[in-house]
Amino acid sequence: MVSETPSRVTNRSADGSNGDIFISPRFKSAAALAGWDEEDLIIASFVVEDTPERSSSKRRRRSNLLSKTSPPSSGSRRRQRIKQSSSNPLPVIDLDKVIRREEERSAEKKNKKNKETKTETKEEKSAEKDEKMLPEQKNSASVVLPCIDKLRDELSCAICLEICFEPSTTTCGHSFCKKCLRSAADKCGRKCPKCRQLIGNGKYCTVNTVLWNTIQLLFPKEVEAQRAAASSNFLTKETPSPRDSNQRLRSRNRETALQARLQREDISRLLVSEERSERRRRGTSVRLDQDSDAAFALRLQRQELASAFGGTGSAAIASSSSSTAVSLSRARANLRAMASRAARRQ
Amino acid sequence: MMTTPGGNGRFKALPTAMYAGYSGTASSWVAKTSVSASGKRIQREMAELNVDPPPECSAGPKGDNLYHWIATIIGPSGTPYEGGIFFLDMIFPSDYPFKPPKVVFKTRIYHCNVDTSGNLSVEILRDSWSPALTITKVLQAIRSIFLKPETYNPALPVIARLYLSDREKHEEVAKEWTLRFAK
Repeated sequence: MVSETPSRVTNRSADGSNGDIFISPRFKSAAALAGWDEEDLIIASFVVEDTPERSSSKRRRRSNLLSKTSPPSSGSRRRQRIKQSSSNPLPVIDLDKVIRREEERSAEKKNKKNKETKTETKEEKSAEKDEKMLPEQKNSASVVLPCIDKLRDELSCAICLEICFEPSTTTCGHSFCKKCLRSAADKCGRKCPKCRQLIGNGKYCTVNTVLWNTIQLLFPKEVEAQRAAASSNFLTKETPSPRDSNQRLRSRNRETALQARLQREDISRLLVSEERSERRRRGTSVRLDQDSDAAFALRLQRQELASAFGGTGSAAIASSSSSTAVSLSRARANLRAMASRAARRQ
Repeated sequence: MMTTPGGNGRFKALPTAMYAGYSGTASSWVAKTSVSASGKRIQREMAELNVDPPPECSAGPKGDNLYHWIATIIGPSGTPYEGGIFFLDMIFPSDYPFKPPKVVFKTRIYHCNVDTSGNLSVEILRDSWSPALTITKVLQAIRSIFLKPETYNPALPVIARLYLSDREKHEEVAKEWTLRFAK
């Protein structure tokens, strides 16, 4: 009954014990069975530590499965599921800690620079990142296409008139920003804004990935600017003109919470893409282009994440503290570790 | 399958983050940022109007309020409105591209789609509004009702009836009004 061990381990840790999971021999044997390395063990320990209810529910479900289906197939499935869940949460948890620390730190700060300088530094940061992280995209952007103006017209959203941000294509073949299309459907009825055909249920909220990647390759600066505008929009919207320091503090808290949420979303998206690529790899045929695609997605997400961190970083720098540099570097190290882990898996 | 509704929220959000969870927050963002989104779009339209203005039309903000514009349309030749300069007020709602601008004739005009206080009964400014329509297109649409009134949807049915029954009489009156109010 070796296959029973992982669930029992998770169960035990759900009851409150934490550190000793590492040295549990049973757990190790299960890990060896699943073919995990040490790092994955640590990951697993984080899972069970952080999400007791969830893991217990999983256990219940698993036992249900066990009673219904034949043991060998459920065992493999279980292993797969364990691996999936274990590969996910480490970065979230680690970065979450960083975020929380950041939140606490920024909550302490009362003096706040005005938004112009903040957005300026952010723009500088993003420009730097452009140079550093996306040399390929830069190259493609620097290649001046003769019909770039026409392309710009073609690839801009009819609703916001900007370059489509996360374009979504309707069943009638027209593309708009996902957000724009969503609000158009909400406020103007489920008709295509361009041709008034009915939009199918729910289908309009999926991103046309090919188009989106094309846009990102063709107009990296515009996309970056929109992303920055979206995040700075929050900041300016959330602080209409704070009167007393108390209110300022509160709004500051809200800001950081929002940014933290953004970051968390970025991370979770990263994880989703990572998970997906992993699933792909597990498939029968591992194709090179798929892997490179996943790597590309990963890089994009990483950049997004880094820019989000850059945002908080610049905000923190504005009020001058050396400790933020530490947390920033820690976040970078985390990212690097994440990337290397993904690379190793590939 | 999910037997624990009170599970850890963060963890739960993970698998669906790309889809339901993420887009759910996205729609709330839109609500928060709609004002500046509309401002952005109006600014963009202003830039485009300056670069490529529609024929015999002009439009621009009244003062420094981005949401209140004044537009002029010159009566197209071959119509009783020929040579008249018609002023219009355009007021943009805060959720602009999703709601039509309110367009009002400031110059009096004898037209079946414009009532006595200047309100327009044009389909695209009411039920047929689409967020993909721009100020340029609205102005062109208004110009097109000078050429061919929407008699099936009149603001003043009397004028529409006259237009359909006695076209000459209609043109005569319209010309007179143009001369009196629009020149």
